[in-house]
Amino acid sequence: MAIPVLICDDSSFARKQMARALPKDWDTEITYAANGEEALTAIRAGKGEVTFLDLTMPVMDGYAVLETIRKEDLPTVTIVVSGDVQPEALARVQKLGAIEFIKKPIDPDKTRTVLTQYGLL
Amino acid sequence: MTDPQTLRDFHWMLEILQTIDVGLVVIDDEYRIQSWNAFMENHSGRRAHTVKAKNLYDVFPELPKEWFSQKVETVRQLNIRAFTTWEQRPYLVRFRTYHPITSTAEHMYQNSMLYPLMDTKGSVSFVAIVIFDVTDIATSKLALQQANSELARLSRTDALTQLFNRGFWQECLYREMQRSRRHGHTASLIIFDVDHFKPVNDTHGHTVGDEVLRHLGRETRKNVRETDIAGRYGGEEFGVILPETSAAEALVFAERFRKLIASQTIQAEGVELSITLSLGIAEIDENMKQVEEWISAADAALYVSKDEGRNRVTVSSQNR
Amino acid sequence: MKPEAIRAEPIVLSDIQRDCYQEIANVAMGQAADLLARLLNVFVELPIPQVNLFEITDLHMALQSLDQEEAASAVCQGFAGDGITGEALIIFNDSNFDDIARLMNYTGEHSEAMHVELLMDVANILIGAFLKGLAEQLDLAFSQGHPAVLGQHKPIRDLLRPTHQSWHQTLAIEIIYALENHPVNCDLLLLFTEDSIEVMNKKIAYLLED
Repeated sequence: MAIPVLICDDSSFARKQMARALPKDWDTEITYAANGEEALTAIRAGKGEVTFLDLTMPVMDGYAVLETIRKEDLPTVTIVVSGDVQPEALARVQKLGAIEFIKKPIDPDKTRTVLTQYGLL
Repeated sequence: MTDPQTLRDFHWMLEILQTIDVGLVVIDDEYRIQSWNAFMENHSGRRAHTVKAKNLYDVFPELPKEWFSQKVETVRQLNIRAFTTWEQRPYLVRFRTYHPITSTAEHMYQNSMLYPLMDTKGSVSFVAIVIFDVTDIATSKLALQQANSELARLSRTDALTQLFNRGFWQECLYREMQRSRRHGHTASLIIFDVDHFKPVNDTHGHTVGDEVLRHLGRETRKNVRETDIAGRYGGEEFGVILPETSAAEALVFAERFRKLIASQTIQAEGVELSITLSLGIAEIDENMKQVEEWISAADAALYVSKDEGRNRVTVSSQNR
Repeated sequence: MKPEAIRAEPIVLSDIQRDCYQEIANVAMGQAADLLARLLNVFVELPIPQVNLFEITDLHMALQSLDQEEAASAVCQGFAGDGITGEALIIFNDSNFDDIARLMNYTGEHSEAMHVELLMDVANILIGAFLKGLAEQLDLAFSQGHPAVLGQHKPIRDLLRPTHQSWHQTLAIEIIYALENHPVNCDLLLLFTEDSIEVMNKKIAYLLED
């Protein structure tokens, strides 16, 4: 059965790159969100078992999404995908419950490794 | 086997690097010199084999160790290029210029670029230092800056008294008012003029009158504080802005200055004469909206001094 | 009437192109921010980069974030690679200097030379890292010219007074770096010449391909 995957990034180019970086042999049903609010709506609708989340976004940023997911205990596994590679950013998202941090530009090999590591693939 | 043409290209490149008119030095992670091209040899007077493996700071004691090491470490750790310019430090290493006889510069002005060099393991342990001679650019830019600042100085200076001219001084007054309003700090204004100046001109001629003003300009510059702003406001009228100063404090200065001028003898064209001043003080207050109101308050106080017999200081009635 | 210079249709950016530049800038600036954070030992708040096409005469308007009247200082550095040329500018309001000096552990008196020193140190890192990140994504290598002090202690409008007008439009990427818990912000402005825009559009078309 296809796994519902959510890609949340304000940039359509980045969403596309993310989708392209997913393993070809992974059976997914992809939903896209352009900001944090759209992402939460999708997750609540069960469209994001796995969420790839950007941090810097208008309307509602990635940190706020992580906080809400934790507070409401929403059913999703979050992997942060960000250009913000400061160690402090990494520490903050891990504290907020993201399982992994992948830096941009996104590397397909890294994505595969992470997914395998967490038994998602 | 290597392609002979590639090999030839390689030798050409090496020869160009050796002779190019740019300094090239490579250092290892302990600042030991690994490479040293002809530019470095010729300007330092030291051949490559004499500096090989020597510590950079021993070879160039004039290079500030802490400052330079910080740049090198940034390049090494972050794996990016870094630049220094003659504007932060005129040179890295002290060399003579290419025009030791005709140039106005005593040394070569230098820009430099620090470049990370990867080793085979992919980490940066060597750093290339590239030194550019920018003496011509630096000297002409410095000359231009000097000319510009001289022009700026001239355009705001009163030629006779060497105090600020009216236009610039008023601009300062406006700025002081803004500053005082923004920060809620006080400031005082003193306006003074020479008592019975017209008879001086009429009796002794304008040359003597000018000498009086010149003398007054000199004494004003000598006696005001570093932060005070003195200008020639009109013919024989002067203004001093005293930031962070109350009327009472300004009065102390004004009294001292009045007594000083009255005690002096001015010599000009074989004539000896003494002058006295009338002064008016106004401290800024929040009701003043325009600089004109501040000037008027000081002016009014000055006229009280005149009316009451001259050679005296009056504080504006608004400040009492 | 004054004869108008002959010029082609003004270049326009599609939403997709603008989005793509924004994302590329986002990644490049993240790398630069990381280096800055490590150097200053602070957390750098990353903004969303602004991508705009400007008439070169309106350049100072690009700098919305900075107080136009307040005195500022700027360093600029040219770069060129693969038909793409431009200049990178670092600008900060002078009121930020004391804080940055403290963060960088500068000791000694606040002289003019130290002022330049500080500008250079920040420029080296922000411009160097940004260009490196940009070059990697566009798959090219830039040559960098020597950075130069564009001006010090002047209002922005006087700092950015373009002198020659041989190119009319510029692609501007503006990134406002702010530091968490410190009243410091600094502008990184990347300006690309008109003819570079076409070259870059081709490069990103390749990235946008399916």
